[in-house]
Amino acid sequence: MNAIPCLTIEDVANLDGILGAFLAKAEADLTVVIDRGGNVISQFGDMTVMDVTIIAALAAGSFAATKELARRIGEVEFNALYHQGNGNHIFMNSVDDDTIMITVFGRRTTVGLVRFYSSSTAQKVAELLKALSSGGHGFSFDASDVTATPVFADQ
Amino acid sequence: MSIINYASREIQFKIVYYGPALCGKTTNLAYIHQRINPENRGDLVSLATAADRTLFFDFLPLNAVVIKGFVTKFQLYTVPGQVIYNATRQLVLRSVDGVIFVADSQWEKMEENVESFKNLEDNLAKQNISIDEIPYVLQYNKRDLDNIAPVNYLEYVLNNRKRRVQSFEVISSTGQNVFASLNAVSQILLHKFSKQSDVPKTPPAPVVIPVEPPARQKQNASV
Repeated sequence: MNAIPCLTIEDVANLDGILGAFLAKAEADLTVVIDRGGNVISQFGDMTVMDVTIIAALAAGSFAATKELARRIGEVEFNALYHQGNGNHIFMNSVDDDTIMITVFGRRTTVGLVRFYSSSTAQKVAELLKALSSGGHGFSFDASDVTATPVFADQ
Repeated sequence: MSIINYASREIQFKIVYYGPALCGKTTNLAYIHQRINPENRGDLVSLATAADRTLFFDFLPLNAVVIKGFVTKFQLYTVPGQVIYNATRQLVLRSVDGVIFVADSQWEKMEENVESFKNLEDNLAKQNISIDEIPYVLQYNKRDLDNIAPVNYLEYVLNNRKRRVQSFEVISSTGQNVFASLNAVSQILLHKFSKQSDVPKTPPAPVVIPVEPPARQKQNASV
């Protein structure tokens, strides 16, 4: 049996608290915490801005791709990436070795403000996730809970 | 490995389509995207060159209710098959939960199939994942072409391991067994995390070594 690491309702509430405070201070629209494989761990803010799942996959790819670029100039990786648009922008920063934080923001704020508050937020998120992994609670389910019918149907 | 979110009752799994260049990985995803209920899928994202060769990856998110009380999100990725993009393949494999290895059934692609499978093993090993532990299935694609190796030969070359896995004869362009192979790996993956991981499964038939030597068959096929 293999257990899947899980975020309890309490963990999610704590994460939401950290991310909500960050959005309010930085005046950004949306922030998403993802693992480096592209999976969404937590998200907070205006979900209508974008398809979070796709942005997570692309952001993880983008972050990983620039790692090689960073190595060429003697860095292990870039700690943060900024994609500037005409009205909407994306700022990504490293939380820990396994996690990245993405922030989407518009004209209401500036990249400086987002960068400033994202740094301390990333630290708090990292501490919470570290406690989570050392806590070691995992989840597994009964085989009878899994559907016996094909998962996906060809229509 | 993803995290279960108890607040939103969501589980995420990552499935990667792996295989040599031009074996039909992207065609698999395009078929699934085209045929699955639009309510259960997101957009198909392709990071490809102008000539439609996968440069980074293709990505298709799918939703399903397969575990009681949870929304299960499957994220399907393809890797770029071209040999030079190995660093990219390593990135895409990060946190992978299940693999569908797509082999090209044509005789002349056999060496590339074997190289790609070995490359998969090596890249998984770099993440401390053994090919013998990760849920995976094999697709023998392009079964509609003339110059193809028989299934028992493909089994001998790619599935002759201590742990034999399910394999499927696939025509990804028409969709034959595309969903069957996706469903198979999904079920293996789900049962891996269930409390009774020793789910009964039908053992695959023993590998039958082809009677004719491959070299001779290859010559015949090319005549």
